[in-house]
Amino acid sequence: MNETIAKGHFSEEQIDKDLLKNVNWGGKFKLWMGFLTVSLIICLYYYYQQLQNGLGVTGLHDYVSWGIYISNFVFFVATSLIGMLVSSVLGMMKVEWVRPVARIAELVALAFAMVAGLIIITDMGRPDRLLNVFIHGRVQSPIVWDIAVVVTYVVISGLLLYIPMLPDIALCRDKLNNVPKWQQKMYKSLSLGWNNTAKQFRLMNRYTRMLLILIIPIALSIHTVTSWLFAMTLRSGWDSPIFGPYFVSGAFVAGCAAVIIAMFFFRNNYKLKEYITADHFDRMGKLLVLVALVYVYFNINEIIVPGYKANTADAKHVHEMLYGHDSVMFWLVQLGGLVIPFLLILFKPMRKPLPLTIIAVVILAGAWFKRVLIVVPTQLAPYYPIQNVPEGWTGYSPTTPEVAITVASFILVVMIITVLAKLFPVVPIWEVKEDMNHKNNK
Amino acid sequence: MKNNKGYHIIILFCLCFLAVANVNAQSDWQVPAEENEKLSPFLFDDDMVLEGRVAYENLCTSCHGTPGQDDFTPMSPPPGDPAGEQFQVQSDGSMFYKIKMGRGTMPKFEDAFEDDELWNIVAYIRSFNEDYKQELPNMEGVVIPEYAMSLSFDENVDKLVVKVFAEELPQPEVSVSAYVMGTFGKHLLGKAQTNELGIAYVDVDPTLPGDEEGKVNVMVKATKEFARAKIEKHMVMAKPTERHSAIEGRHIWSTDRMAPIWLKITFFVSVFGVWFALLFIVFGLRNIKKAREEA
Ligand code: HEC
Repeated sequence: MNETIAKGHFSEEQIDKDLLKNVNWGGKFKLWMGFLTVSLIICLYYYYQQLQNGLGVTGLHDYVSWGIYISNFVFFVATSLIGMLVSSVLGMMKVEWVRPVARIAELVALAFAMVAGLIIITDMGRPDRLLNVFIHGRVQSPIVWDIAVVVTYVVISGLLLYIPMLPDIALCRDKLNNVPKWQQKMYKSLSLGWNNTAKQFRLMNRYTRMLLILIIPIALSIHTVTSWLFAMTLRSGWDSPIFGPYFVSGAFVAGCAAVIIAMFFFRNNYKLKEYITADHFDRMGKLLVLVALVYVYFNINEIIVPGYKANTADAKHVHEMLYGHDSVMFWLVQLGGLVIPFLLILFKPMRKPLPLTIIAVVILAGAWFKRVLIVVPTQLAPYYPIQNVPEGWTGYSPTTPEVAITVASFILVVMIITVLAKLFPVVPIWEVKEDMNHKNNK
Repeated sequence: MKNNKGYHIIILFCLCFLAVANVNAQSDWQVPAEENEKLSPFLFDDDMVLEGRVAYENLCTSCHGTPGQDDFTPMSPPPGDPAGEQFQVQSDGSMFYKIKMGRGTMPKFEDAFEDDELWNIVAYIRSFNEDYKQELPNMEGVVIPEYAMSLSFDENVDKLVVKVFAEELPQPEVSVSAYVMGTFGKHLLGKAQTNELGIAYVDVDPTLPGDEEGKVNVMVKATKEFARAKIEKHMVMAKPTERHSAIEGRHIWSTDRMAPIWLKITFFVSVFGVWFALLFIVFGLRNIKKAREEA
């Protein structure tokens, strides 16, 4: 168990140095941010077009009014759920090895949750009326529940990132003397005068524990409510009582994959091989197998139960997936994006950092397309046949602005993670030290 | 083949015969002389034309089309356009009789309309003829009484009580018909004759649906020879209707006001509960700052 934490017996100074070294604004960072900014601006130009001309610039129409914007939103909410699983569930079960990667999971969670709340606005034809959702929202509407729970989850994730980071912020305040003035000031005020007193640790642990407990129901509801946006309707393919757990289990798969990718990125770029070890990847791989198994189980339920009922609308929907109109994408996603990768990860060599990361990328892409499969085909099979409408309305394909705006949301996520990972250490320093001391004293 | 041809000729012949027979029949619609000379006791005024129009549009347009447009339904014999020659050369009495009695495909409207209502339709048909001059019966020496009516409802016996007066005197043997007015037409409650006290009783079905208070709009007509009168009144005499929302039981989706209480409580308790905890933590951060001073 212990080999997951820094193998060598580093001195505390060494740990400080290793883990604080990423907190700087180097040339590489500037280049990367510059690249992201330029790409974002290009994508935002398309959003400007959409603002001017309305949703007509998208491929959406009367039948498919939820396209890749909503699929993307569902995907983002899903991915953000991982913070809860790693830091809360595993953290409270005192699973030691997650401690160094917990903050990465929280970063991923916060960034995806923040952008999820934002990206939903792109699906509005009149974003200037956003306020009406709050003013005239009805308590009965799952959309109102969704807004409430997404906002809450962003705040909890933020707090859960921030509060356990207090000792590290204090460390930044004390050790980093060559960063810009504003940054020093920021550390000073954010650290809340932290100076490692026992009482401060007690308080911090208390609040963290409260948050860890609170985040479980909130995280479960954020994705359950997102699934209810669909399941509360009477449409074939959506009208399913297991949609909540189905979405949640799928969320863990996407989230694990995203965390693995982020881990790989930080490990290589921030030279953290001693702290985020191959063993971490191995364990994350096993975790991914576990959640993927649960997800496969839900998928089987979602397909077999309605598909068995030969002539219902739900069955037609399933058949359309299995060997009809959507079958190519369906099998690519189910086999290529879920079953085959998870079978591969069963083999230990596949859980090494590089292969696992590649598999994670495939799984994450599969997870994204899976959301499209959940959102779009149902709308193309309404109970009343589609008749006497323009030809294009019998299908859906996203337009360039739609794709660009979706790409913009990914860029935003990456930007948020990048900036946060430059302002704060991505591996919890005090926890690593604590672990070491704990071990040494044994 | 040869045989077939023979059949064709026979069929063709029969069809021709039928067509000729029909044309003959049409020109042949005999109206008894007495009926033919019958005259409307009422002066065709705009009110009558209007009422006639409503009746016509509801019941005649489907076959006779819009008068003046020659768009009647093609059938044999053809119904004809009421604004056309065919109709207008006839006497008022003849038209009245044909509408009342019908023939073949032309329905018989005797049971559907009162005499005065039939005259309304004739008035309407005549309104398309500019040259028409109404011939009124010889009224010399005839005094037409002016009726006044009062309505009441006897809830002990479920009867509508109609009193007909003329200059304060009760009028016996007046025909009274009572209707309940609906949005799209009227419903006949019943017909009766006034007794020597000038009172007529019309049965009211107690299960008749009214508005929330059991009110219905009652219309009563009184006619006797050339005299006629009409009265409309809102009366409480029917079963009150409890209005239910058409989406009752499913109203969870409609306005905010309709949100079920359990949902409101669940939603607000959880949202406020969680935010209370969050604010507690946020304000608690001050304690961390205070804890420093101790050291
Ligand atoms: C089902 C179709 C139909 C409806 C409805 C109908 N009619 Fe007729 N009507 C006919 C036909 C057919 C004739 C010709 C009958 C004949 O000559 O035997 C006719 C003949 C007549 C005639 C006699 C015309 C003539 O040339 O002598 C009058 C008047 C008349 N209809 C009035 C009415 C009125 C008023 C109504 C509505 C209250 C009405 N009809 C409704 C089919 C209809």
